Amino acid sequence: MFTTGFKFFFGLGMALAGAAVFYGYTTGGNHMGPLSMGWKGGIGEHLGYSLLLGLGVTAMTVALFLVFFRDADPAAQAHYMGVEQIPANSLVTASFWPVVGAFGVGAMAIGLVLHTAVFVTGLVVCAVVAIEWLMDSWADRATGDPEANRVLRNRVMAPIEIPALGAALVAVGVLATSRILLATSKLGAVVVAGVVSVLILAVAVLFVSNRRINRNILAGSVLILAVAVLAGGVVATVTGERDFVHHDDDHVGVESEEGN
Amino acid sequence: MTMTDSPPVADTALAAASPRVVGLFDALTTTDHKRIGRLWLRSGVLALLAATIVGVVLTVENSNSSADDIFGGVNNYFQYFSAYRFGLVLLVVAPLFVGLATVVVPMQVGATNIAFPRAAHGAVWLFMIGAGITVVSVAAGGGWGALDGVSSGERDAIALTLVGTALVIVSLLAASICIATTVVSLRTAGMNLLRVPLFAWSMLVATSVWLLTLPVALGNLALIYLDLRGGPGEYGTAGGSGAIYAQLGWLVEQPQVYAFAIPVLGVLGQIAPVAAGRRHAQHMVAVALIGLFGLLAVGGWSQPFFQGGNYDENFVFIVFGLFAVLPVLGSIGAATDTIAKRSADDDGGASASTGPGAGTAGAGISRLLSVHGLGAIGAALLLLAGTVAGLARVIQPWDLGGRTTTTAVMNLVLYGAVVAAIAGIWFWAPKISGRHLPAAMGRLVLLDLVAGAVLLGAADFVSGFLEAPAFGYQVAGSTAPLMAVPSDQNLIEVMNVVGAAGAVLIVLGVLGVVAALAKAARSDEPVEDNPYGGQTLEWATSSPPPSGNFSEPPERVVSEAPLLDTVRENGEEA
Repeated sequence: MFTTGFKFFFGLGMALAGAAVFYGYTTGGNHMGPLSMGWKGGIGEHLGYSLLLGLGVTAMTVALFLVFFRDADPAAQAHYMGVEQIPANSLVTASFWPVVGAFGVGAMAIGLVLHTAVFVTGLVVCAVVAIEWLMDSWADRATGDPEANRVLRNRVMAPIEIPALGAALVAVGVLATSRILLATSKLGAVVVAGVVSVLILAVAVLFVSNRRINRNILAGSVLILAVAVLAGGVVATVTGERDFVHHDDDHVGVESEEGN
Repeated sequence: MTMTDSPPVADTALAAASPRVVGLFDALTTTDHKRIGRLWLRSGVLALLAATIVGVVLTVENSNSSADDIFGGVNNYFQYFSAYRFGLVLLVVAPLFVGLATVVVPMQVGATNIAFPRAAHGAVWLFMIGAGITVVSVAAGGGWGALDGVSSGERDAIALTLVGTALVIVSLLAASICIATTVVSLRTAGMNLLRVPLFAWSMLVATSVWLLTLPVALGNLALIYLDLRGGPGEYGTAGGSGAIYAQLGWLVEQPQVYAFAIPVLGVLGQIAPVAAGRRHAQHMVAVALIGLFGLLAVGGWSQPFFQGGNYDENFVFIVFGLFAVLPVLGSIGAATDTIAKRSADDDGGASASTGPGAGTAGAGISRLLSVHGLGAIGAALLLLAGTVAGLARVIQPWDLGGRTTTTAVMNLVLYGAVVAAIAGIWFWAPKISGRHLPAAMGRLVLLDLVAGAVLLGAADFVSGFLEAPAFGYQVAGSTAPLMAVPSDQNLIEVMNVVGAAGAVLIVLGVLGVVAALAKAARSDEPVEDNPYGGQTLEWATSSPPPSGNFSEPPERVVSEAPLLDTVRENGEEA
């Protein structure tokens, strides 16, 4: 039940937490401060107490992860896989992240010279790659079965990846579309908004009504739409916004009242 | 985390059964060291072709001192002069050896893969991106400085060259960590460091030296970048940005340039016993000599730009220059001893020679004259010539510092390394690609490359004694004179023509390499597992090796030539 890894890290965490309490009381902590993390009294010297307690909490978190995913316990893994002895997973699974990371670093380097936005983009890419790479490495060693590792990895990461990717796509789509609408004339903006809405609706209806549609056609259609929106956004950004006629506040107020 | 429990049992069937994917997807996602190594090798060969073409253009320009015919200005000339030098070191020689090592070293030490395969894969892509940025920025007017002032756009291009170079160096460092860790941590049972095959050992020494010294270059680049972007702006003034090259010049000069040629001794030590069909006669000596050469190739401390004064009188610099010849000479001696003992065995009918391929004296000579045999010998002799030129450069009365002698050292050493890498590609082709490379074409190519490098190096070496400056003196006429006018310009021009002929031969050789690789790629001829009588573990697996390298774990290693031990055991049992 409790794996060796769990025992090690839980013990380490408890020891560090005990050390933090001891350190707190010996450096000026009073009442229940060191035991209640400062809620009922002083904790003593802040930096050392925080460091020790932080490390202790981290170790205990790792311990919980280990017991939850049955890591570092060949017997538990063998039970999970339904075999007597688990095989060694000597192969590291194929991954896009090293390449993506390389491009992220490249973007940072180019951005350093040419434009801050490119640098920040590269930085964000590198941060994402660091997290994904870490999780892939952990999952590769979780059990001896690559398929089980893949499932395990997706169980942890999919709830984060899918919403994050979705939000990023929506944000990029909204930004690109807004640039297009701002760059075209008033009438043009209405036409673009109408055509894009109808297109999205038409494509959605088509896919809903025909369940046997080829996945490649589906992916291709979405890709073309996405590229069109992005390309339009980039072109519109380069072109710049149309000239706006700004009315004074009173007039806006009158318009607002009329509107109401 | 898993290290807290007993390791699970091995299941190599899992490795063999892994699905094989090819094409772009494979190149983007692979974690197999052989595929990663092939990416390095392709990049290196492509860069070699580009660098040697630039080399020809530079030497042709040098051969006519009366006009700036090709480059049309000192800035352009300086761009390609520095691009050729840094390109040859960072984009050609280092990637070729890293590629070869990424494929071969894990198999040599009996590992199923390279250490940190994802990092190794990331490194090769980072290298390609860094190299791409560097090449594009040089084409856009950048480079490692300029001598005649730069525009604002060119300053940006120079900055891009600097970050591109930094990316290349970072990628080489990442790859070095993977290779060194493989040798240190992933050796099979019984293989202590003294039993590590000589090529793997030389790569451990080389990558260790790179890890010690290349971060210094990163520090140089950071300083230059900060000065360029936020400093007083002297790098944009006439002559000012020449200091950029001056700060990084130590990378292509002795002793640092030797660091990129350390694996030459490993290739020689690996191929000589195979060519002789017997154990290396002086394995331990060879191990020590490679280590010594690595020690004498540590060059991060050698910074003439910052140390100033008369740098050629620096005591440590002189000592390094004098002693670097010895390990090269010793390694050649140890290889010769191995081959000579084989000849003695043949003459005396002794049976010291073992292993597959052991046979008559005629067969021994044939193996010695094989592509890889010729290549290893040629590479070692070029390296020897380079270190001898380096020795001459530090002899004070001759006063060869700042002259073309330094170019001779660089060309001889680096083309020695190129020849060794190509010999290695021919030798390990069955393991790299599962194909043989054409032997006749290989001999021609390697002889051509050696001849070209000798002409190029000899011309620069002689010109150095005629007081020819390292940087093209004829272009200096178009701006301020950079160096003193040579004493014997006519003879120097003759030498430049000889050098240009050598450069042309080198390009022809590289084109031959590309043609041979293309020809082999179309071949579907089956390849033996151990066609040359190899003695180390990479020859114990199939050609091409399966995913995971070995169908079953290698047996416990008891010597530096495990396959010869196996043959002996089989003979005793029979």
